[in-house]
Amino acid sequence: MKYSKYLAVLVLFIVAAALPNYLGLYQLQIMNFVFVYIAFALSWDMLLRSGQLSFGIAGFAGIGGYTSVLCGYNFALSPILCILIGSAVAGIVALFVGSQVLKLRGLYFSIVTLAIGEIFRVIVRNLEVTGAAEGILLPNAIFMGNATKTYWLMFAIATFTIIISILFQKTRIYYALTSISNDEIVAASSGVNIFKYLVIIFVVTSAIQGMAGAAYWQIYASVTPEGAFNLGFALLPITMALFGGVGTTWGPVIGSAILSVTAEYLKLQFPHGHLLVYGFIMVAAILWFPSGIMGVFKQFTAKFNT
Amino acid sequence: MINSIVNQFKQRNFLFGFILILAAIILIGIYKPAVLVEGLQRSALYALIALPMALLLGIVDIINLAHGEFMMVGAYFAYFMSAQFGMDPIVSVLPALLIFFIFGLIVYYLTFKHIIGKPPLNQLLLGFGISLILSEGMTAIATNAPRKLSLDYVSSSASIGGVTFGTFEFVYVAGALIVLLGMQLLLKKTATGQAAVAVGQNPRGARVVGINVNNIYLLIFCVSIALISAIGPLFMTRYTLFPQMGSSFTLKSFSLVAVGGMGSITGVVYAALILGMGETLVLSSLKYGKWAEIIYFALIIGVIMYRSHQRQVK
Repeated sequence: MKYSKYLAVLVLFIVAAALPNYLGLYQLQIMNFVFVYIAFALSWDMLLRSGQLSFGIAGFAGIGGYTSVLCGYNFALSPILCILIGSAVAGIVALFVGSQVLKLRGLYFSIVTLAIGEIFRVIVRNLEVTGAAEGILLPNAIFMGNATKTYWLMFAIATFTIIISILFQKTRIYYALTSISNDEIVAASSGVNIFKYLVIIFVVTSAIQGMAGAAYWQIYASVTPEGAFNLGFALLPITMALFGGVGTTWGPVIGSAILSVTAEYLKLQFPHGHLLVYGFIMVAAILWFPSGIMGVFKQFTAKFNT
Repeated sequence: MINSIVNQFKQRNFLFGFILILAAIILIGIYKPAVLVEGLQRSALYALIALPMALLLGIVDIINLAHGEFMMVGAYFAYFMSAQFGMDPIVSVLPALLIFFIFGLIVYYLTFKHIIGKPPLNQLLLGFGISLILSEGMTAIATNAPRKLSLDYVSSSASIGGVTFGTFEFVYVAGALIVLLGMQLLLKKTATGQAAVAVGQNPRGARVVGINVNNIYLLIFCVSIALISAIGPLFMTRYTLFPQMGSSFTLKSFSLVAVGGMGSITGVVYAALILGMGETLVLSSLKYGKWAEIIYFALIIGVIMYRSHQRQVK
């Protein structure tokens, strides 16, 4: 059983590595979506494991995207460096916000993360430096628009997120966060520094979201306020993570892989209101299958084994 | 009710805040009288939108993240009634109340009923999902095109002492007063209202003393949905409609409820006054008018900082 797991990961990796040779430009583009959404959904889920619900994916992705494009536009830095700076800035914003808001949990935290994207959208839309409502256009896309190279970049970011998630599941941070989400008072009285761990995980996940957002907008070589802080970036990854199964590493990955391909299909079929399906999936997941596909799968294998 | 207002004034903090707000309003009145009237109308609209959420979130502790979307659906309802049957939007408030009370009933039985008593994260996610269904459903029905009715009486105006202002918007002031008084009466004078307050404070205790907790949740939820949806028709007479307009009002309502203090109905009205006056003042300046949206973020952030500071002191 243990080896089959590693084997599955290896097969997945080989398939992912071989894909650029067989796919066309449009399919590679969809694969980029898949990887971005894996990074978003998984990082969102990592924070959820500590019991904090964030709606800030759109905000941090937008911050990362704007920072990286601004760096490229004003200082002509190399795109990879820009992406790292974008990630760092998103992390710093998260550190600042988190150190204020994480003392108040639950409702307040969720609403403030929801407001972050809106705040930055208003700021970015009104400043001259950020190109106001038109946004900024870079002279060149990352890697001169080479589809295979961008595929590898996004693949690296998704893999990086998966590795971080697995690391968090294996180290003491996992036990600290699990105890926090189970019962904060018990966690605090057994010597867990709740606040410290919550800030760490919030900063790390936001930096990942910033990085994925930065890479995404570097591929497009442009940012606009309405695009970069689009609430869809918050909605879709949350739905994907819920659909795949929260609290696991592979649940959000599988959810993102399935739903981002479906999203592309639906977008072509129903130009107006294709996200309706996602709303229904979200509601259904919360009401009827809270552990997602992974939960259903586990139930099935448990039945099969006995 | 007068007693409760007098009691509020006896608290020093409250008195101080009240004097501060009053002084600010008088200053604005001297500086730009038009801002005062328009600010009052805008504040009333915000209060009107936030009051149903204050009832649901403040009193019985249910957070409905689809709050603004219900208003959007109500507004589209009035639009189509007007476009199809020529029904006046103001008149369509009444059928909207009834229809959306039933709609709220259905939504409650299908979704929120199963979530009550579960962690608040589930409520947030559920509300988010419902808001997505409503706004995307409306996009599928009515597309993204912005819609606006042109009504004659909306643009009526009057002028007093050289200050010209729209008269139609006083509908919002009247509406806010009616809703405020109605809610106060419901919560303070009726047995149902008292039961709702008890359920909000301690659901298990309320059940022990023989209150039908489920019915209270159901009633308050439906009243809140009916009210917010019936505000939609009033809203759409003045503003342009599009399916995504709701979410910003959900955020604004939440921040007003948080600023006013959970459980306080009158607090929401004061918070709305601050927000409405502040926004109008910033809007009235030509140079910085675009930054008006920042005001309520300042409000949210201020309150959150204050609350988290309080928590640290404890």
